[in-house]
Amino acid sequence: MKALSLTELKNILRSLEDRYDVRAPIRLADGTRALGRLDEGELAVAGGRLPRKPTDVFFPQHDLIFTAPAEGAIESPAAPGKPLFVLGFTAEDLDCLEFIDRFFAAHYRDDLYFRLREGAVVGGVSGYCGEEGRMMRIAGDNCDLELVCDGERFIVAPRSAKGREIEGGIDCAVTDATLEELRQASDLLSDESRRILQKASELIRADRVPDDFWAEIGDLCIACTGCNLVCPTCTCYGVQDRSWRDRTERSRMWDSCQLDGFMREASGHNPLGTEALRSRRRIHHKLAADPTRWGHLTCYLCGRCDAACPTGIGIQSVARRIVSRFA
Amino acid sequence: MSTTPAKPAARSLFVPVDCRIVSITELTPQEKLFRVEFPGGADLGHVPGQFVQVSILGLGEAPISVASSPTRRGSFELGVRRAGTLTGAMHRLKEGAVIGIRGPFGRPFDLERMGGKDLLLISGGCGLAPMRSLIQYCQDNPDDFGRITILYGAKSPEDMLFKDEIRDWEASERYACAATVDDVPGGSCYDGPVGQVTRLIPPLRIDPEKTVAAIVGPPVMYRFVIEELKKKGLAEDRIAVSLERQMRCGVGKCGHCTIEHLYCCLDGPVFWLNEVSGLRGAL
Repeated sequence: MKALSLTELKNILRSLEDRYDVRAPIRLADGTRALGRLDEGELAVAGGRLPRKPTDVFFPQHDLIFTAPAEGAIESPAAPGKPLFVLGFTAEDLDCLEFIDRFFAAHYRDDLYFRLREGAVVGGVSGYCGEEGRMMRIAGDNCDLELVCDGERFIVAPRSAKGREIEGGIDCAVTDATLEELRQASDLLSDESRRILQKASELIRADRVPDDFWAEIGDLCIACTGCNLVCPTCTCYGVQDRSWRDRTERSRMWDSCQLDGFMREASGHNPLGTEALRSRRRIHHKLAADPTRWGHLTCYLCGRCDAACPTGIGIQSVARRIVSRFA
Repeated sequence: MSTTPAKPAARSLFVPVDCRIVSITELTPQEKLFRVEFPGGADLGHVPGQFVQVSILGLGEAPISVASSPTRRGSFELGVRRAGTLTGAMHRLKEGAVIGIRGPFGRPFDLERMGGKDLLLISGGCGLAPMRSLIQYCQDNPDDFGRITILYGAKSPEDMLFKDEIRDWEASERYACAATVDDVPGGSCYDGPVGQVTRLIPPLRIDPEKTVAAIVGPPVMYRFVIEELKKKGLAEDRIAVSLERQMRCGVGKCGHCTIEHLYCCLDGPVFWLNEVSGLRGAL
């Protein structure tokens, strides 16, 4: 299989810039890693999941819906000049992306999302390139191309026709290493967190988690909304108009179910009027409501909300508490 | 995994159509009725119980239930209570003004399941506006339904919507209609029934096998009305409830309309009671 050094990978990504708007993990000036263009920072593929959800390239925090000039017809935002090539999704991120692709396509196809998503190439990163070189689960699908790190190089594993086309154009060394050994190591990764989450889901759905528990979690919540902002399957948004002398712009911006006004109705009635109800909603939605609607959990254990929450009530932490107290 | 490129939609899901307000009627000090025309007089294409997103540039959007029947063609009506920024701005508009419309959206009243049945249509406050769409539909399709009973409750005589139409329904042989108010302020010349709308239910003769009820009103009303309907023997799958106050973007994407696993904008706003009675936040 073809295998790339970091320098070769950087060169390949550079060469793709003619055809694609390339985004990859880079190191910012403050030392943190984020998705960015290659000239915005040093390539930093290794290091585990990115702190910010990578799905935001397709569902940005702020997304222009249309511009209405003072005179004339409403203008929709122009289609992107080049499709996106996005490298940096972990296996869990790819699961999340697969879900939100279905979410945005269901019933009414969300043209704002697919304006960026259609034609985009998605690259996964896995293998021994986690935090401090730890193994990250191999995705195997849900992407066009997966780069699996064997500890030194990135083995190129195409997963779609588009991925095969890109892989075919890569001129680099071929390694004897097979993905088999790496896959075995990936399969050995603990799935304890998944079992706990599944168990917590069963307990919530069986109505075994009392309101007192949610009040306790609600008391810990400071409504910073960090959990929602980093969650790759959180897709809630609000709509906002801003007007200038010559135009009005309508945009959508991420919203958070942890804010008091999230569901407040014009009459003042608020179905999520307490912190307990809002905390329950955040967890219940992923572990009980979505399984009923979609047939599966919609937390894929990316770990971001647990890392972001300043008071220790990310979804895995809450799931552990539920299982330890109510199982 | 890349998604299949598709032809760009002719029009974005989120871009409203400019529509003209052709008339404005003051219903109460808080509510106005706006008659709205699509360009070229095209029909909205709705079914009673559905809603549209009303848009005013610079202020945003708000979901409003349609108050007229699709059988009244060439325009449609919206009963709007002045409650927030956008509805406040709507109340300041004059005839001829242009507003944006997206829709119609949502699951309407199940006219097929209501067909041939006696209908018990119960509304409270500004819930009469969406119910009026169904009432007008029944008026225009008299052979499709059995006996129609309309019950309406308002806070006070001043807050009653569609007073003239209520008088017509009360006078009509086709309908049984009763309206009540919670309270009568001193000095009012109102001489009709006083009390909650629930008080109008016990005297009714209802054949629970032949009757379908529909309820639209403020959240506090549902529990008590449902209790009375159950005393009359009505099963939950014969009680339709509109949870129109929980609607938001219309297309099930913004996440604000969720009721547990249901999306009010997609799966509702009209539900059969058995679909939502066990769900937290529904009623």
